[in-house]
Amino acid sequence: MYTIQTQDLSKTYKNGVNALNNLNIQVKEGEVFSLLGPNGAGKSSLIKILTTQCLATKGKAFILDIDTQKNPDDVRPLISCVSQSISIDSHMSLKENFIFQARLYQLDNKTINQRMKLLIESFELSDYVKYPVSTYSGGIKRRLDIAMNMISFPKVLFLDEPTTGMDVQSRRAMWDMIQKIKETFRTTIFLTTHYLEEADILSDSICIIKDGKELIQASPYELKRLTGNSMIKIGLTDAKLLPSCCRYIESLKLCSSSYIRGESAFFVSDDSDSSFPLIIRALLDKPFYVKSADITSPSLEDVFIDLISKKEVKEDKKVC
Amino acid sequence: MLNILYRNMKWRVQNPITIVITLIQPILWMVLYGTVGANSMHSTISNYNAFILPGIMVLVTFSACCSGGIINYIMKNNASFYRVLISPVKRVSVVSGQALETVILSFIEISVLMAVSLFFSVRVPSDPLSFLSMLIILFLTAFFLSCLTYTMSLLLPNEVVYETVMNAIVLPTFFLSSALFPSETLSKNLYIVIYLNPFSHVINILRKILMNEPFPAREFFSVSLLLLILCIITFSCALYRLKKETAK
Repeated sequence: MYTIQTQDLSKTYKNGVNALNNLNIQVKEGEVFSLLGPNGAGKSSLIKILTTQCLATKGKAFILDIDTQKNPDDVRPLISCVSQSISIDSHMSLKENFIFQARLYQLDNKTINQRMKLLIESFELSDYVKYPVSTYSGGIKRRLDIAMNMISFPKVLFLDEPTTGMDVQSRRAMWDMIQKIKETFRTTIFLTTHYLEEADILSDSICIIKDGKELIQASPYELKRLTGNSMIKIGLTDAKLLPSCCRYIESLKLCSSSYIRGESAFFVSDDSDSSFPLIIRALLDKPFYVKSADITSPSLEDVFIDLISKKEVKEDKKVC
Repeated sequence: MLNILYRNMKWRVQNPITIVITLIQPILWMVLYGTVGANSMHSTISNYNAFILPGIMVLVTFSACCSGGIINYIMKNNASFYRVLISPVKRVSVVSGQALETVILSFIEISVLMAVSLFFSVRVPSDPLSFLSMLIILFLTAFFLSCLTYTMSLLLPNEVVYETVMNAIVLPTFFLSSALFPSETLSKNLYIVIYLNPFSHVINILRKILMNEPFPAREFFSVSLLLLILCIITFSCALYRLKKETAK
């Protein structure tokens, strides 16, 4: 049994926007699952359907085998969702926020007090109890938001871009918090993020979606292997020539795909060792002045860009 | 329900300006218009301030309930509205908690208004039956209006549109009622319009109670029944709209 599962899930809004298109994903119990995709890929629409905020146009979605469309009332006690914008009530104190959230889940006073104490300690919020919530920094508010959503001990916690807009230090504190939720509370975490490094570090499983359709679902390790064991990274003395350099190498069919990131061009090839001298020779024959050349291991970002830039993933590369 | 009610009351206490602002306009009506009107109506109405007090009570209830809708937009903007929606709390509890907060606010503001009106020789009914009847009528009116404004806040896209629409409803409803002048003196067409306004009946019965007329039992029951029906309709509409929020 999967904790979360969708079957040919589609969502078309009234204005005709196709947010999800026959999406199929599976999330195992206790894992951190990251959903990656460019803006408008359908990440937030999927979270809304899974958290019973809206209905799908077609297909099915299950949380612990319960149909979210047919039985939303049975799903709600099992889940909690931390949305993109902070949802704490700034006019209430830290403890009042916990109590309010707990009472929404019909917890008794004894349980509320026990869990509140545990969560305040676990998420290092003790120093902030006596101060008004409205005076907290964005990072602490977000920490409270997540801690508060944990008071019902949900089976599944949805985190919709929880680190967007955070500084590096707060983001790393958030990563520790997510790890702690996974290890201490054994909660299944469904995460959407724009930070690929974050997904790489935290996730047991990653799904990349584009145009409402899953491109691939696999572990970070498997994803990196899919692009090939290595890539060719080229730097030119004149970075403006990188686009024409990519087009030239692709026209010679010396790589399967290429893209530019920063000051370098990356060439994906099934056999980088053999392609490397051929690419260098081809560039030297043309007026491209090579500043640096290297064979590197692909990062998750490389995989993401590679997959997103392709229109369709070849079936033989598909893991899920 | 009490959980939602407590949260909204806490917000209200921390934002007392919302109480003051909604009180200012009705008190100004009471003090300024009441004094001016008393001079021109002294031949037909003995205590004009007592005459207009029921209308001002309805106006203050309207203002309090309108501000309840604004709270809903604030909760929507900071996402706590959606946190409540995906929790297992019953939708009936959400609507009831939301409505009762504005009912309580209405009663607080009506109490202040009555206290001010004591300076204008208005008497609070001493007869327990009349006093209780007045409370029942005011409760039903406030509950009906709070459900109506909550429904509107779920229907309309933002607080600016909401404010505009509510202003377009409140003032015509107030002026096209028996709040400021005796409806018997009006032309037939205007009288029909005022008669069709349910608030005219609310104002008339409150007026009879406040001016120590014999207790109008039959009228009390008919107006209570009318308000009860309106409460059920608007509560159902609010519930329907809230359920629609997760059925898009």
